[in-house]
Amino acid sequence: MVKTLLGRSWIWSWIAAAAAFGLIMLLTQGRGAEELAYAALSFGAFAAIVGLGQMMVITLGPGNVDLSIPATMTLAATLALKGMGSDPGTSLLGLAIAIGVGCGAGLANFALIYLLRLPPIIATLAASLIYQSLAIWSNRGLRIKPPADLADFATGRTIGIPNVALIALVLSVVVWIVLERSVFGRWLLGSGQNLRAARLAGIPTQLVRAVTYTSVAVLAAVAGYLLASFSGGASLNMGQEYLLSSIAVVVIGGTSIAGGNSNVPGIWGASLFLFLVVSMLNSYGLGAGVRMLLTGLIIIGIVIAASTRRGRA
Amino acid sequence: MKTLLLSAAAIAMAATGAQADTSGKRIALSNNYAGNSWRQAMLEAWEDAGSAAVDNGIVAAADAFTTSENQATEQAAQIQNMILQGYDAIVVNAASPTALNGAIKEACDAGLTVVSFDGIVTEPCAWRIAVDFNEMGRLQVEYLAQRIPEGGNLLEIRGLAGVFVDEEISAGIQQGIEENPQFTISGSVHGDWAQDVAQKAVAGILPSLPEVVGVVTQGGDGYGTARAFDAAGRDTPLIVLGNRQDEMLWWAEQRDANGYETMSLSIAPGVASLAFWVAQQILDGAEVPKDLNVPFLTVTQDTLDDVLAETPEGSVASTTYEQADAQAVIEAAE
Repeated sequence: MVKTLLGRSWIWSWIAAAAAFGLIMLLTQGRGAEELAYAALSFGAFAAIVGLGQMMVITLGPGNVDLSIPATMTLAATLALKGMGSDPGTSLLGLAIAIGVGCGAGLANFALIYLLRLPPIIATLAASLIYQSLAIWSNRGLRIKPPADLADFATGRTIGIPNVALIALVLSVVVWIVLERSVFGRWLLGSGQNLRAARLAGIPTQLVRAVTYTSVAVLAAVAGYLLASFSGGASLNMGQEYLLSSIAVVVIGGTSIAGGNSNVPGIWGASLFLFLVVSMLNSYGLGAGVRMLLTGLIIIGIVIAASTRRGRA
Repeated sequence: MKTLLLSAAAIAMAATGAQADTSGKRIALSNNYAGNSWRQAMLEAWEDAGSAAVDNGIVAAADAFTTSENQATEQAAQIQNMILQGYDAIVVNAASPTALNGAIKEACDAGLTVVSFDGIVTEPCAWRIAVDFNEMGRLQVEYLAQRIPEGGNLLEIRGLAGVFVDEEISAGIQQGIEENPQFTISGSVHGDWAQDVAQKAVAGILPSLPEVVGVVTQGGDGYGTARAFDAAGRDTPLIVLGNRQDEMLWWAEQRDANGYETMSLSIAPGVASLAFWVAQQILDGAEVPKDLNVPFLTVTQDTLDDVLAETPEGSVASTTYEQADAQAVIEAAE
């Protein structure tokens, strides 16, 4: 039992998250456990949603990554909040705008990659400059408040669990089913393992790429919409920290960076871990330099642990 | 036709005073970053001051350029382009106090006037319009000491790690704590001057903190901090704010609901218009000391309503500086 569990590459991110949680509890002597778990679920949810998208893209194989996630989040959130204009009862309109922006951004990214034959890193990075500029141009960085009912929902809880975490959980289950149980999931994994073999086997690899790049952008747009509703408005730099963390949660979670192998439970372990490790190092009063150094070392440690286990299995 | 108009304008200007000297001069703004509401308000302040000055024939051009990646190398290349484009003065908000020095020196050697503000540069040939960030930190603790004489635990929200401004404000706060030893900093997080980042960081450290009586901040992080305290079900401590509209709106709501009192201070993004006028004054031949200081903009309980009414929704409280203000700042430094 233990051996099978240790063989799973996602277990290491969960062990690390639990260890970080335990270390904070050691400091507070058990105070605030519920408070901390609640905060970790709330903030972990956003990293988990963008992480799911990034994981699908990385699964496509070497060189595939979406660097436009922060800009897509910002643009979707800015336009959605502008469209809603703080009026009550417009939450669904806002969500529709966000998803529309996500679809547009995803298709634009794919068009750059497919039509212009640009490497995804260059294409999505260049596109992100355009999305960010559109966000600046559309609202000059002014923060519009979300409608009160949407803000209450985003910061609220159901049966003790943050609503945003529930949404992220539903999305995770959907992505897991698609990847593990659907034909599209097989196509995606197949394309990631060997693109040429997949094409020769009759898999519509370009369609798979198009759908995947659109999915990641839609997930980023939804995350941006939720984050802006959660934190009281869209700001121009709201997506910034999700560039690195979207990739970090994929890698820490045990998904193979070489593609062809994805891992949904690991995304959650890694998202909770990323929040908890910063909280832990902050709680112990370590300076920013030491904190970043330790975060880097811990991440390397987990990745090594997860990948050597996989190698032996 | 254009020259005719220009010379007509020049004659008209000559009749009104010494400003005619700069009517043919072109000033460029080299800006390293545009991705937050403060920078957007700063760019607007530049545009307002610059376009009005161009319309009035005081200068020939006041163009703004922003680098996309907030990199010193990129900004150095931008400054070199400005030299080639033949600008007479460059006003710069620098990505780094030292990394641009080479490009700035080239500009000076080519006969350009370089004025740095907010993000200032150390190259001696450039002018510096600096804010006393250290004092901004110290004043916050001083204010807390007046309000809470018995002292207690403070939470410090810092800015972006590794940036000069963050270190200066934090050093000022440390100095304030040394002067008022009844306070201790029981926790410190980096909020990156962004509400959502601050909210996340504070939510993570709160469970491990004892009762917090006050929060010292750097601006752009007060509202997120308040939301994190609220979400954790804790009493809202005395949070020093940073002039953002959402912070001041929250403050006004709290004041109306339960008499909440605090203060708010930051640099006005309008400092860009001050830098513009200082550059114009230098081009005009005025004797200007290399180091100038701008006061920060403080909002108190009494001025809150007025400032809030003037600040666009989602923006930052600002003041616009006119030519006369620049002359006053220059005189004060002499």
